[in-house]
Amino acid sequence: MDSLIPFTTSGSLVDCVDRKMLVILRDGRKLHGVLRSYDQFANLVLEDTVERIYHGNAFAEHWHGLFLIRGENVVLLGEVDLDQEDDVPLRQVDYQVLDPYHRNDIAQKKLHDEAKAKILYEQRGFCKEGGEGDGY
Amino acid sequence: MLPLSLLSAAQNKPMLVELKNGETFNGHLVNCDNFMNITLREVYQTSADGDRFWKLKECYIRGSTIKYLRVPDQLLDVVKEDQLRAREANRTTRGGPPGRGGRGAPPRGRGAPRAAPRGGGRGRGRG
Repeated sequence: MDSLIPFTTSGSLVDCVDRKMLVILRDGRKLHGVLRSYDQFANLVLEDTVERIYHGNAFAEHWHGLFLIRGENVVLLGEVDLDQEDDVPLRQVDYQVLDPYHRNDIAQKKLHDEAKAKILYEQRGFCKEGGEGDGY
Repeated sequence: MLPLSLLSAAQNKPMLVELKNGETFNGHLVNCDNFMNITLREVYQTSADGDRFWKLKECYIRGSTIKYLRVPDQLLDVVKEDQLRAREANRTTRGGPPGRGGRGAPPRGRGAPRAAPRGGGRGRGRG
């Protein structure tokens, strides 16, 4: 059956509709929600969406609701295995508790990336990165 | 219900739009098009770092700059009900069993390609 459907956005995402999915955006955000709809651009409709942040071996969730994501911004879309979902060896904590750590992680990564880009450009003869500042 | 149909169904509803640069716009949707270009009214704009705010009477956002939109949770249910009602109305005015011939909205899946042709090529060039 699979081979009858060509490898297109619409072809490969049919099976994901009404499933719990993980979406990673270009800005690094990780969203968990139920995929309700999509189109040829991989614009997505996610219901009951929660955003997850991680730091060390802890994670936290923040409830958002109904999302319409513009396809361009999606890096990854993956199905969540409901049987194994609760087996993750991570500890859930309050969002408010983890948020400052998470923000700090992002700031650190930004500094690191900037320093790296500077060295590559000034000492190693690489060109500058494109304006968007992320690796995608 | 395709994502963009959901968006047009959200007319006059409150929503939050985040742009690729991180700025957010809170307002009521006035109109939208197939490029996802939108106009909002009574808008609160927030800068990417979240420490500056602006109030705008009305604004236009080019679709290509959007990262995502957050719409009211009930919207999905409302749209489903509306579709059902529209189909029902269509059926009663036309008469006859639903989904056979005619141009009425066929019972649809979810934007998935139709695997098997329905109706076996009947109804075209039959007269």
